[in-house]
Amino acid sequence: MPMAPKSPARNARSRPRRLARRRQKTGVARYYQLYALLSNALNDGTIAPGSALPSEPELAARHRLSRTTVRRALGRLESENRIVRLRGSGTFARQAPAAAKLCLNLHTFYKDLPTIAARTSVSVLRFEPEALPAGARDLQSHLGEHAFVIQSLHKYHGTPYQISTAYVPESVGRQMRRNSLGSTSIITVLDRMGQKTVSSEHTMSAVAADDIASRALGVSLGAPLLRMRAVFIDSKGRTRALCESLSRPDHLNVRAELERVRARRAHSPWRLRARETVSAKR
Amino acid sequence: MNSARVDLDATGFLLMTARTNTRTGIARYQQVYTVLSQALAAGNIAAGEALPSEPTLVRQYGVSRTTVRRALARLAAEGSIVRRRGSGTYAKRGLEKSGATRKVTRLLDDLRRVGSNTRSKLLAFERVATPDFLLREWPEFGEKALLIRRLRSVGDDPVVLATIYVPEELAPLLSPRRLGLDTVLVALDKLGHRAVTADQQTNAVAADPFSAEHLQCPVGSALLNVRQLARDAKGHILDFTNFVYRPDCYELHVQIERGNGRRARVAR
Repeated sequence: MPMAPKSPARNARSRPRRLARRRQKTGVARYYQLYALLSNALNDGTIAPGSALPSEPELAARHRLSRTTVRRALGRLESENRIVRLRGSGTFARQAPAAAKLCLNLHTFYKDLPTIAARTSVSVLRFEPEALPAGARDLQSHLGEHAFVIQSLHKYHGTPYQISTAYVPESVGRQMRRNSLGSTSIITVLDRMGQKTVSSEHTMSAVAADDIASRALGVSLGAPLLRMRAVFIDSKGRTRALCESLSRPDHLNVRAELERVRARRAHSPWRLRARETVSAKR
Repeated sequence: MNSARVDLDATGFLLMTARTNTRTGIARYQQVYTVLSQALAAGNIAAGEALPSEPTLVRQYGVSRTTVRRALARLAAEGSIVRRRGSGTYAKRGLEKSGATRKVTRLLDDLRRVGSNTRSKLLAFERVATPDFLLREWPEFGEKALLIRRLRSVGDDPVVLATIYVPEELAPLLSPRRLGLDTVLVALDKLGHRAVTADQQTNAVAADPFSAEHLQCPVGSALLNVRQLARDAKGHILDFTNFVYRPDCYELHVQIERGNGRRARVAR
């Protein structure tokens, strides 16, 4: 069945872009709604670098907004250096700056630990004994009643991209040296202490930045952050560390290459791709 | 991250406070509301427990008392807190999530398997020119694609909004009826095109008005975003999907075994 050729303009329109008529009392400014729409389109490449954005009158008509509102949304994107407005010519998406964006590959997680530790810097904010948080009480038998908390701020090229809070057994924490955590990941420090991690479970979600995270990471209150929770387990099946990290989505990418456990079977579960097969498949 | 003691003066940049900010386009009371309702939903403030006092919240978020009151009024109106005159503000017992809407935690999921009350609403099914961002990253995708956009709900809760692009060669195989409740990958599998590798990128995004409307959440709220490209055994692209999940309904779960990576697997 041949497909009728369609112009890119038609393609752009196929995305339902009209802003819904929203109640005024959403607490979200109308210009911000347009800004969010355009911002996501620029982020995911729907509006490609170098290509033109719809004109101001077009945006105003399509979303039933005033010119002032449209200008405010564009003004914000311009101040963030994401678009360029050329007088008499139009508004264009800028080439995304070679952003200092760190990539975390889950399929090579343990192998990458030293590289990431070497490329990033860490300042330890808290390093002290503390009771486990309410959500982790079921791990008390592993970590002990009094755990040791290590809260750190991670920077890449000088920009804070992640705040992490780790809990280890108190006896273990007391043997760690605060300075050693600046250039080495906690997992590596635990390894050297003979507490080798053999597996981990990671859970990813999105959260709104609370007051601590917003200050530490330089984002506004409520801004979206990627939350990763991890439980690190040793060869005897004991939990050796709990870690929760909040990361800025514009500074960290999390990637996972997956493959079927049994390629020939339908509904076969997926797993992280083993490194050996990567080159074979490509 | 609810334990609130950070030595804020220890590092220089922390003095450069972000705080709430009217220039973000999101009202201050809305920002405070978002953070508090998240703390309540996550159980950081347990049912029956008192919220910090108004003056404490004023200091904590650097906002006015009026702003704090407005945020609390909104939480009270939707029944997540109760304000007792002369006593304080308390978290109300959260509505227990039904079994079906409990968090789904799969690495590459078929939500259909979650429960019988999963629904799928087809929002778009049309042929389009392949968007530039796909062509730039995967030039072999081809000039034309089938665009499928669907919303999946479990019970009454919208869980995920998926935008899927299928290469032109595979497009004739699919129809809204063939798709039914299946994911595109399951439907293609039944038609003899099995996905054996997938490349996923996970991040957080702010809800744009379109996702906000369908996922029934405020514009600007945090959503989990998964972008995924699937290939068959020969390395041919089967689909590209952009998933946007409501984080209170879905989490991504990965188990990693240490070693040479061979034994790494996905839990559940």
